[in-house]
Amino acid sequence: MKRLLLTLVLGLTAGIGSHLAYYRYNEPARTDTLEGQLAWMKTELKLSDSQFARIKELHLASHPRLQAMAAQVAQMQTEFTEFEQTRRATDRVDFLEFARFVETRRNLNRECLDSTRQLVLASAEVMTPDQRQQYIRLVATAEPLVGSLLN
Amino acid sequence: MNPPPDPLDSLLDRWSETPDPSPRLSANVWQRIAVGESESARSPGLWAALQGWFARPAFAVGFVIGCALVGLFMAELRVSHVQRERSAQLARSYLLLIDPLLNAPTGDRRS
Repeated sequence: MKRLLLTLVLGLTAGIGSHLAYYRYNEPARTDTLEGQLAWMKTELKLSDSQFARIKELHLASHPRLQAMAAQVAQMQTEFTEFEQTRRATDRVDFLEFARFVETRRNLNRECLDSTRQLVLASAEVMTPDQRQQYIRLVATAEPLVGSLLN
Repeated sequence: MNPPPDPLDSLLDRWSETPDPSPRLSANVWQRIAVGESESARSPGLWAALQGWFARPAFAVGFVIGCALVGLFMAELRVSHVQRERSAQLARSYLLLIDPLLNAPTGDRRS
């Protein structure tokens, strides 16, 4: 009886222990930085060291500009929300201001698409056809980008 | 000199007149034997067999190794599941990184 229980406990301990040890050793690293994402791209697309170096350079060069644009997009969204709140509260629309806002937003959207397209195309140029196909499939999930890449 | 009468004598005299056995006696006896055997085979048998198996060192060692292997297999399944999830999450953050418009609500992207 004791022997049976002892063996069961030992088996359970061995199972849980091996599970935890293996998982802890092989657990994928959690990263949200640009470096982490590029390292993931290298593995996913099987990039060579020279390809990776070039793609990293391209991404690092465009990163500050893209970040600034993302901040601008967020700011414009806040402005639009405020504009909408004022319209609802006062029931008046400043059409001149709204037209300016729409124009600025249109220009910003165009700039964003251009910058993204340039980065994607420059990165794709470094890749082999297979890698390029996989990369385009990956970025194609970004809906506004698809149209601009296919045109 | 006669011995005093034993009270058992009358009882023994009555016992000598044995009635005929019931016609189902033999069937009932066999039925009881069968029920007894099946009960004894059922209840302690499984537990005893389990104890017997675990009493063998080779089986006990095999059982522990088997548990460890099952643990490793489950861990491998967990790792690949987490890897798939992490990969999808990295793809989403990469797209957010290269496309500032993805942060905007859907209606704003086309304007």
